[in-house]
Amino acid sequence: MRLFHLKRTIWAVLALGVMIAFAAPQPAAAQQVPADEAALLQQLKGGPVTGRVSIPDVKSSVLIQPQGREWRETLEGPVKSFGGWLLLVTVVVLAAFLAIRGRIKIDSGPAGRTIERFNGTERFAHWLTAICFIVLGLSGLNLSFGRAVVLPIIGPEAFASLTTFGKLAHNFLSFPFVLGVLLMAILWIRHNLPNAIDITWIKQGGGLLQKGVHPPAGKFNAGQKVIFWFVVIGALTLAVSGYILMFPFYVTDIAGMQLAQLVHAVAGVVMVAIILAHIYIGSIGMEGAFDAMGSGKVDLNWAKEHHSLWVQEVRARGAGDD
Amino acid sequence: MLIKKSSSASAAPVKGKLSGILAGATLQTMDRRGFLKASGLAAGGLAAVSALTPAMVKPAKAAPSAGSNIVKRKNICTHCSVGCTVTAEVENGVWVGQEPSWDSPINLGTHCAKGASIRELTHGDRRLKYPMKLVDGKWTRITWDQAIDEIGNKLLEIREKSGPESVYWLGSAKFSNEGGYLFRKFAAFWGTNNIDHQARICHSTTVAGVANTWGYGAMTNSYNDIHNSKCIVIMGGNPAEAHPVSLQHVLRGKEKNKAPLIVIDPRFTRTAAHATEYVRIRPGTDIPVIWGLLWHIFENGWEDKEYIRQRVYGMDDVRKEVAKWTPDEVERVTGVPGEQMRRVAETMAKNRPGTLIWCMGVTQHTVGTANVRALSILQLALGNIGVEGGGANIFRGHCNVQGCTDLGLDVTTLPAYYGLTEGAWKHWCRVWDVDYNWMQSRFESKKMMETKGIPSTRWFDAVLVDKKDLEQKDNVKAMFFWGHGGNTVPRMPEMKTGMEKVELLVVVDPHPTTAAALPDRKNGTYLLPACTQLETRGSRTASNRSLQWGEQIVKPIFESKPDHWILYQFAKKLGFEKEMFKNIKIDEGEEPNVEDILREINLGTVSIGYSGQSPERLKAHMAHQADFDVVTLRATKGPLKGEFYGLPWPCWGTPEMKHPGTHVLYNTNLPVKEGGGAFRARFGVEKDGVSLLAEGSYPVGSEIQDGHPEFTYGLLKKMGWDKELTEAERATIEKIGGNNPDAVSWAIDLSCGIIRVCMEHGVQAMGNAKARANAFGLPDPIPVHREPIYTVRRDLVAKYPAMADRRDYRLPHLGKSIQDKDLSKDFPMILTSGRLVEYEGGGEETRSNKWLAELQQNMFVEINPDDAARLGIKEGQDVWVYGPENNAKAKVKALVTPRVAKGVAFMPFHFSGFWQGVDQRKNYPPGTDPIVLGESVNGVTTYGYDPVTHMHENKATICRIEAA
Amino acid sequence: MARMKFLCDSERCIECNACVTACKNEHEVPWGINRRRVVTLNDGAKGERSISMACMHCEDAPCMAVCPVDCFYKTEEGVVLHSKDLCIGCGYCFYACPFGAPQYPQVGNFGSRGKMDKCTFCAGGPEADNTKEEYLKYGANRLAEGKLPLCAEMCSTKALLAGDGDVIAQIYKERVTRRGYGSGAWGWATAYKTGSSV
Repeated sequence: MRLFHLKRTIWAVLALGVMIAFAAPQPAAAQQVPADEAALLQQLKGGPVTGRVSIPDVKSSVLIQPQGREWRETLEGPVKSFGGWLLLVTVVVLAAFLAIRGRIKIDSGPAGRTIERFNGTERFAHWLTAICFIVLGLSGLNLSFGRAVVLPIIGPEAFASLTTFGKLAHNFLSFPFVLGVLLMAILWIRHNLPNAIDITWIKQGGGLLQKGVHPPAGKFNAGQKVIFWFVVIGALTLAVSGYILMFPFYVTDIAGMQLAQLVHAVAGVVMVAIILAHIYIGSIGMEGAFDAMGSGKVDLNWAKEHHSLWVQEVRARGAGDD
Repeated sequence: MLIKKSSSASAAPVKGKLSGILAGATLQTMDRRGFLKASGLAAGGLAAVSALTPAMVKPAKAAPSAGSNIVKRKNICTHCSVGCTVTAEVENGVWVGQEPSWDSPINLGTHCAKGASIRELTHGDRRLKYPMKLVDGKWTRITWDQAIDEIGNKLLEIREKSGPESVYWLGSAKFSNEGGYLFRKFAAFWGTNNIDHQARICHSTTVAGVANTWGYGAMTNSYNDIHNSKCIVIMGGNPAEAHPVSLQHVLRGKEKNKAPLIVIDPRFTRTAAHATEYVRIRPGTDIPVIWGLLWHIFENGWEDKEYIRQRVYGMDDVRKEVAKWTPDEVERVTGVPGEQMRRVAETMAKNRPGTLIWCMGVTQHTVGTANVRALSILQLALGNIGVEGGGANIFRGHCNVQGCTDLGLDVTTLPAYYGLTEGAWKHWCRVWDVDYNWMQSRFESKKMMETKGIPSTRWFDAVLVDKKDLEQKDNVKAMFFWGHGGNTVPRMPEMKTGMEKVELLVVVDPHPTTAAALPDRKNGTYLLPACTQLETRGSRTASNRSLQWGEQIVKPIFESKPDHWILYQFAKKLGFEKEMFKNIKIDEGEEPNVEDILREINLGTVSIGYSGQSPERLKAHMAHQADFDVVTLRATKGPLKGEFYGLPWPCWGTPEMKHPGTHVLYNTNLPVKEGGGAFRARFGVEKDGVSLLAEGSYPVGSEIQDGHPEFTYGLLKKMGWDKELTEAERATIEKIGGNNPDAVSWAIDLSCGIIRVCMEHGVQAMGNAKARANAFGLPDPIPVHREPIYTVRRDLVAKYPAMADRRDYRLPHLGKSIQDKDLSKDFPMILTSGRLVEYEGGGEETRSNKWLAELQQNMFVEINPDDAARLGIKEGQDVWVYGPENNAKAKVKALVTPRVAKGVAFMPFHFSGFWQGVDQRKNYPPGTDPIVLGESVNGVTTYGYDPVTHMHENKATICRIEAA
Repeated sequence: MARMKFLCDSERCIECNACVTACKNEHEVPWGINRRRVVTLNDGAKGERSISMACMHCEDAPCMAVCPVDCFYKTEEGVVLHSKDLCIGCGYCFYACPFGAPQYPQVGNFGSRGKMDKCTFCAGGPEADNTKEEYLKYGANRLAEGKLPLCAEMCSTKALLAGDGDVIAQIYKERVTRRGYGSGAWGWATAYKTGSSV
């Protein structure tokens, strides 16, 4: 499909940041249009048929917007199948990984001593984001797949109530979610700048695939850095597209709204897939990992195996050990 | 998939009509699909679309069940003059729904934005709810009694001090015929001719121009008759917005006959969008355009020579003037290329009969009457008058502007165009059953009784000018705006001063109007809530001269009252109710009986044939609407078979004579008795030795097979027909005639015997004359082009000067002295004005209707994209429009559009409530401010009056536009 | 079985807005909600056309397809209706609709949407026919009373036709044949895939 008027849309997306009022599209006063519908649609090549209306609602000056059909086809076709398959594949891969690799244990066994990995602020930021994301993700997925999956089970009335609640939650939790992401970004951005060690880590597959392999890593290893950047950029994308959707037609026209919706849907499902992996490795996938965000204190041996350089650094500062 | 939540009939219906259906036993067991089938409806409404007769298939009507108290009532739309029937569904006194009026042969179920939202008027939370007065700048509620008492006392005081001429009675084209007639009568009984209404500002020049050409000041054919036209020309009119339902007939004529639709207008209007040929002219150059067309017609011999020989006087004088308008000169003056002029002329000549439609683009000029005359001459040259499919189809403005004009809401005449002569007064005194001397005593003098009043366009001049320049005892001291906007006449800055200077300002209207909000007054303003015509009953005359009876749909809302009730109260207070209502019964609640008023109208309006339309006949027409043919307007079946819908006047003689009304005026193809006729012999029998009577042309079946003068009792005797009068008729005539019964003309014969006998002989009592191409007696007997007095074309002023300064209508009238000043440098753009479909007139009523107001939320000025680019103006931006008088200015939104030509700006005229950039919302009584307010175009429009009627110049002035 | 459709003959439409106010009148549609509107193309120039537009009650209705809560349904006459009880005001139907038909009341600041409102072809909604509940949510149910949509019935020039698709197509075809021109039944091809040869 043609992705509408990409230029205008990109401009519109940028404009959100500065909240510039979107100038109403110029009415068709000057344009010479054929007086016959078929000829006109052909000339416009699927673009909107726009005229003049006396009411102040600029949207209503669009008589026919054939791209609605393309939006629908894109959403109902590629986007939903991609999203569905992506989630399915993610779950299957993780399950397979668990089956093959099993839970990654602390090779040297628990030390019994702990080291503080994340302080209260960091954990607050994480959990704020996490809890919001879970609700946002579920309500988002519900919006895309609920009609096929949930509605037949619980019936239209219950589903509508659920979805209404989901929409409200989705709208309102977006604010703390963005706050959480911003906090994490501020707290952790310096730890997430890529460096040479990351290359080794990646070459060795993060040691996830083999027992006993533990490439060195700082506070965040390359895998976590990838997650970090995905979260930051993904959240930004979701926020921009989401707020365009939440404040409809404030900064863009219908083509922009349609694009924002598609971007939001794709970004959302990708984020859900990534976070699924993140949740897996931070919980059942790896022994001792959850503590980092649970109590904030991790087993020293776990820390040495997964974040050796960070442990050294902490020790050098003379802190960290209990 | 969802289905209905419940299929059982439910409780608490919101609209009663719905409850009726639900309660219907037959329907309870029937699902709606079944009902749809059973009703056969899918074809119902649509049948009206495809077939021409709406009556062919009726939409299903679910019979209301016994429990339902829904009543259907029919009235007529109160907006424009098309006369659309409105079908209301009323439950418990509340108007709850509106249904298409399929049976009406005029609107065939349809409406425009205004008609389709008219129900809102009777809910009207923005209506004026009770009488109010201004006390030290604050609106205060008062009772009707107090209002009548205080206003009455003040009027008597002014009468004592300054005489009756110092009260100005500005009435309304929204009155019913009965209300309008009573208002005219009231002014006469008060003792002044300072009484006018909107006809002054819409078609006064049409009435003057057309009446001076062939007899009557009215649309000659009808909207429906356009179905028969082979060519449709619309000049200076935008019926798509001003008369939308008329376009149904126009477009059907266009489609059915493959008729060319030619639109001649400075602005590419919504009507022009449907034209086969659009001719753009410079505002104010109508005569050059018309003469330019005639130039080609005469040049090629396309005129109807036999028609002219038989039925037109003075066409050769026209030829001389037309000869000056060569294609080159026409193009130089009007901007229309010669080739297009030739094409249009040829199209008109070769597609006959052709109709010519005009509106305010033609009439609202300093040369308005001359414009109308030129158009009339064009149609005469083509032989298009008095034939089906032809005609001068003048689309009137308000719903009853034709009726109120006919009934004399005019400074120059008593009802039915009798004028103000002694004979006219005596005629009406006989009708009113009052003594002529007593009537004369009501006036300052016999002279003032017979002197034209001050036109409504200039009422404020009568307040402001020096007393010595005013031909009456004193300036105007009290002003009544009785159903008339305060923003529809130019020179509002001066009008505002006038409004501030009068001692008493009374607004009688459903809305407070501009007159309440604009002037800076602290005391002495009264607002009296009149109800709309939907809340009372009576007849109104549509543009095509058909009278339609409206039923009361709901009782007057809040404390509002019908006009005739208010007039009775004032008459009582002023002490002449006994004389004025002598033959009119006063019903319960002191309401004069509407039917009685119409009967009195019937009695007196012999001259124009408003005499046959009794209330009973009109009600029967409404009841049998479906029997009338949509094209011929004639009933093809039923008890009214043979009659024309609404008995379009002239409907000769008494109701008992059963004249069918006249669908097409001056139509010699029908016997007089069946609605035929000929041009009226109104201007004598000869002029300078040349006969003014028709030659060899006469209505079918006429025993006089040639032209003849109008009939008198004497002429009747000469013909030997007087023996056919009944004893009663003869007695009446002889009583009227006194010493000289032979001089009694058909027009003052209250028995209508002369008319009756003439009709028996196939003869038209009003004579059979030629139409006048040369209207001797008018300021320009042969129309000549005169540049607008405010013009940007200074190069044309010397050759086409305005009329010299003169005096008329008790006032000085400037022309040349204004035109001589060159203001084109500071005001380089032409400003013209017009209507929007959503609003009407001054717009107070329609801007208060939420369904309409939403559609036009801002006052604007249309500017051509080239001008906008040059002036740095963007679409939707605020701009200042400056006028050349009184530092006038208005702040409005720019609407950049090629609808207007380069150098031309257009503004709609329905707005008020902003004044020179300042919001005046707070000036309205709380809760009565219209939803949408805006600057009035007349805040910047200028001086300029037609010499015959003092119609204002509203279509060609100058302005300057700057970004705000 | 009648298949209800709208058809706007732009050779007849004069932008008088009767359809708009008839709709408002019949259903008491609030300010700011425009179930029907008239758009003028090529305003002020030769070839200017005005077209009255509302929900066209499409054959394969995009709104129905994209609605996350499946609140739309189609009646036996092909009228596309929806349940306001189920609608969550997400706006998807507006993005999908080729004709800009769905309207949303603003229920909070910043354009947050309430439940979608649109033309019902004067056929109400899921509530029992002609009940107060139905009227308040969806307006009058004329179809159930055996009447056609008021916008078309009151159209000043009979430009807007509503009713059985075959009948109105026939009327339009006859018109085009008689007058010899027609600029297409606007939106028809987009809305109705079958029988769209008008």
